[in-house]
Amino acid sequence: MDQRRDVTWISSLGFVLFLLMGVAYWREWRPEWKAYQAEFRELVVRRFGPDRAAHVPKGVQQIWIPQLGRVDRCVTCHLGIEWKGLENAPHPYRTHPPEILQKHPITRFGCTICHGGQGYATDMRSAHATRIEHWEEPLLAAELGKTYLLSERKALLQINCNICHRYDRETKGAELINYAKRLVREKGCRACHKINGRGGVIGPDLTYVGDKSPEQYDYARLGGVKSVFAWHIAHFKNPKAMVAETVMPNFNFGSREAQALAMLVMSWKRVTLPVEYLPGAQWADRPTPEELEREQRMLTGEGAFFVKKGCFVCHEVSSLGIESAAKIGPDLANAYVDVQSRFGKTLEDFLMNPTGTMAVVLATQIPLTAEEKREAIETLKLAYRRKLERETGLR
Amino acid sequence: MAAERTIWERMFWSWRPESSREAGDAIVRNFLLHWFPAKVLRESLSFRYSLWLGTIAAVLFFLLTGTGVVLMFLYVPSVERAYASVKDIEHVISFGWFVRSLHRIAAHAMVAIVFLHMVRVFVTGAYKNGVAADQNRPLNWIIGILLLLATLLLSFTGYLLPWDQLAYWAITVGTSIATAAPWIGDDIRFLLLGGHEIAQNALLRFYVLHCFVLPAAVLILFSWHMWRVRKDGGLACADRLAREQKREWAAPIRSKTYSLLGIARGRTIHVETAVIDEEEHTVPASPVLVRRLFLVVLGTLVATSLLALVIRAPLEEPANPSVTPNPAKAPWYFLWLQELVALTTVRISSYTLNGAFVGGVLIPGLLILWLAIWPYLDKSSVASVGVWFPTERRRQNLVFLLIAAGILLLILTGTFMRGPYWEFYWPWEPWPEIPRRF
Amino acid sequence: MKNAKWHRRSASPSELPNPGVPDVETGSGSSASRRLFLQRVGLGALLAGLFGHVSAWVRSLFPNVLYEEPRRIKIGRPEDFAEGGTFLEERRLFVFRERNTFYAISATCTHLGCTVKMILLPQPKRVRIGEQTKEERYEFHCPCHGSKYYGDGTNYAGPAPRPLVWYKLEVAPEDGQLVVNLEETVGQDFRLTV
Repeated sequence: MDQRRDVTWISSLGFVLFLLMGVAYWREWRPEWKAYQAEFRELVVRRFGPDRAAHVPKGVQQIWIPQLGRVDRCVTCHLGIEWKGLENAPHPYRTHPPEILQKHPITRFGCTICHGGQGYATDMRSAHATRIEHWEEPLLAAELGKTYLLSERKALLQINCNICHRYDRETKGAELINYAKRLVREKGCRACHKINGRGGVIGPDLTYVGDKSPEQYDYARLGGVKSVFAWHIAHFKNPKAMVAETVMPNFNFGSREAQALAMLVMSWKRVTLPVEYLPGAQWADRPTPEELEREQRMLTGEGAFFVKKGCFVCHEVSSLGIESAAKIGPDLANAYVDVQSRFGKTLEDFLMNPTGTMAVVLATQIPLTAEEKREAIETLKLAYRRKLERETGLR
Repeated sequence: MAAERTIWERMFWSWRPESSREAGDAIVRNFLLHWFPAKVLRESLSFRYSLWLGTIAAVLFFLLTGTGVVLMFLYVPSVERAYASVKDIEHVISFGWFVRSLHRIAAHAMVAIVFLHMVRVFVTGAYKNGVAADQNRPLNWIIGILLLLATLLLSFTGYLLPWDQLAYWAITVGTSIATAAPWIGDDIRFLLLGGHEIAQNALLRFYVLHCFVLPAAVLILFSWHMWRVRKDGGLACADRLAREQKREWAAPIRSKTYSLLGIARGRTIHVETAVIDEEEHTVPASPVLVRRLFLVVLGTLVATSLLALVIRAPLEEPANPSVTPNPAKAPWYFLWLQELVALTTVRISSYTLNGAFVGGVLIPGLLILWLAIWPYLDKSSVASVGVWFPTERRRQNLVFLLIAAGILLLILTGTFMRGPYWEFYWPWEPWPEIPRRF
Repeated sequence: MKNAKWHRRSASPSELPNPGVPDVETGSGSSASRRLFLQRVGLGALLAGLFGHVSAWVRSLFPNVLYEEPRRIKIGRPEDFAEGGTFLEERRLFVFRERNTFYAISATCTHLGCTVKMILLPQPKRVRIGEQTKEERYEFHCPCHGSKYYGDGTNYAGPAPRPLVWYKLEVAPEDGQLVVNLEETVGQDFRLTV
């Protein structure tokens, strides 16, 4: 009878396996983001009609920015970011304020570099990461601000502005960070602390204090949430309340000041950024002021025509201050008389019906309209006149 | 139904045996069924005797191979990409979470089941030679110990691969235990990590060990293990039966090879004359063994699938060599060692014997040595082969179980009762709040 | 029992049952058939469950997100392109400028995907493509299997089955850069006028 029992067991376990796989498939086919995408599609149909709803993307969407080592899947649910006309739609469908996106296009920056949160995740809890374990960058939004009873809840976002903008004196839009930077200057923090390589050694170096791990702080005297951010706020309000033996003076900072300064120090992290992401970084070979001036003179002076049309690649026009790097052709200051002796035609004739090298150049490289040719002739005449003037002047 | 049966028979069983000899031949000729003897003892099929633990371990190994191959297609063994690829497996790859969770559960289960299998073999005295010819069960016991060690190493090497804090610091603690081995300890760690730090070299080494070297070793050892089971005349309970029958029938053992779950050396594949009691004690391997094996495979699959659905595989912060989590724990099957290394530092006046050596090398080393040679020291009679808790072996079983229980206790303490700074906390006591960044 | 008939039907049911089929004789009619039915459903569910497992594993190998370049790429401002053809190595793309018109031809050989090379002809050659006669200054030759294409991408020798693909060019409204859309192919008469 054992054998029949085996068959019964096999078929019952078969049922169980089927049910378990049913659960697995259900979880896989009903993720949170599908509901959001469906709702967004409905919203688009209601507001813009079904035609535009066809353009709503399906499936997990991501922005991959290899330069920053980030992949952000926020756009899977936050679908309205770049849509016009959803400014008053509820989250997560609302249009992103467009001004800031012009300087920080989403395809170059993604989301989490500014907003925080876990870009890898595709469900809200893990993505916003405000109260989950094992992710250190929570979404810097109102929800987090609420847990700290901050008066400027949404300002937390400015912490991340300062990751790239840390060497700016003022950053437009990051008012609280600007305020904190002003406090750092006014209160003379650098008397004791080294910041960005400058400052005293009485207090600890603060250049990368934002990286210091939560374990390294003493929370014994801190009530409420045990977090680095809370510690900094409490410490700024009264240093001795956190570290009894500290020599740091009490500046009697208010809530706003403490919040601003805590945000600033949290932003002082060691982040490796590609140079094109650093605001104000020089990464072009800049001309010297003399070179700039000469370039300007050539571009706006009487000989500007020869620069715009590219004649100066081969010809200098010495009398009009046009220099040529290559000097393959003759100096055009003489052209008015020189053409006659070289080609046996007048300048007018030659330009209208060129021969030799100039025929090829004018046919392929520098096509000139009839009017431009007339302008060329006039300017060449002027060049010759200037040459004569200078020579007579010298004499 | 008749048509169904015809199709089935045409495809898989085109011919119907007319005699036992033909039936035996058929099994021997079929590659898949050839794994099994023609007939098997009812006793060795029973759940009560073997608990089928060895089979479950093998099933888990093959389940791990299957899920592991899938994961190999999805995982990138580089310091830069490893963590992100595991995040992708969790979040954007269809069923990635399920396959990873299944792999992890099966891995933990395999460590546990292999250990329990060893316990079962010990307490039933199944490592002892019985009455049949050409047995060498002690050798198979040693192969089994090697399989246990390979299983532990497989699980341990898999631990590092996600490259998160859990992985990084578990491997830090684990490989530091290795340095306590005298003379060669530092070299072992250096070789294992390919350097002094856990970095790209270590990840690649652990990856190759995990995905190729150790599975290959397990596969070879497993084949040898199974082959020896056949050569030793099947499970040890067969010897008990043979002994009992010998009393009844006094038939020569040699003629019973067929009833002892296997074909003895030097015989042809043709079935020998069956004795009468075979009718009573054996059943054809196909379909009875095949069906029960399938039941065990299915049961294992159902149990691991259920656990995989309930328990999600964890993934902590990315590995950060400058921040040690508090507490940093080794994987659970090494936690008894971590407990031991924390407890066994011995100070005799000015001389200090490091607990890492006592608890990390000496004690486990001696345990393994003791396990390996015990079959040769166990002088109990043939009467206690293949019997649960025989009176004759009561004392050694008690010692063995006490050691096993001790290890289990240390593991449970390490897992559930150690908090920050390795302080002791009862499971119902809350840990101090772990500080966060925000 | 030597040479005894070994037959499934003749053996006692407890020892030698048929695989998967219980012995109907042992149970009373309706309960036996109900059990049989339930067993069959169970085995069906089992097969479905196993299939579900395997297909889940296989499904995981089809990626849902890709780490690839976007299919619409900005390639630079129109005035930064020289007259004639420019080869964008990373994109495997030729961009041609004829005064103020632009077009883009893929450098991927239509035979087996190697990158074709633009060959400048020592002197202009007159070729007949379909109805038209054109004068051309360059051609495309494939290094892998010797496919040859005229300047407009039309294949004329070697194993290539089709002309080279032309991609649509646009001007990005936000910064005036040329945008090549790899999703959209166009005909050989396409010209973007800037």
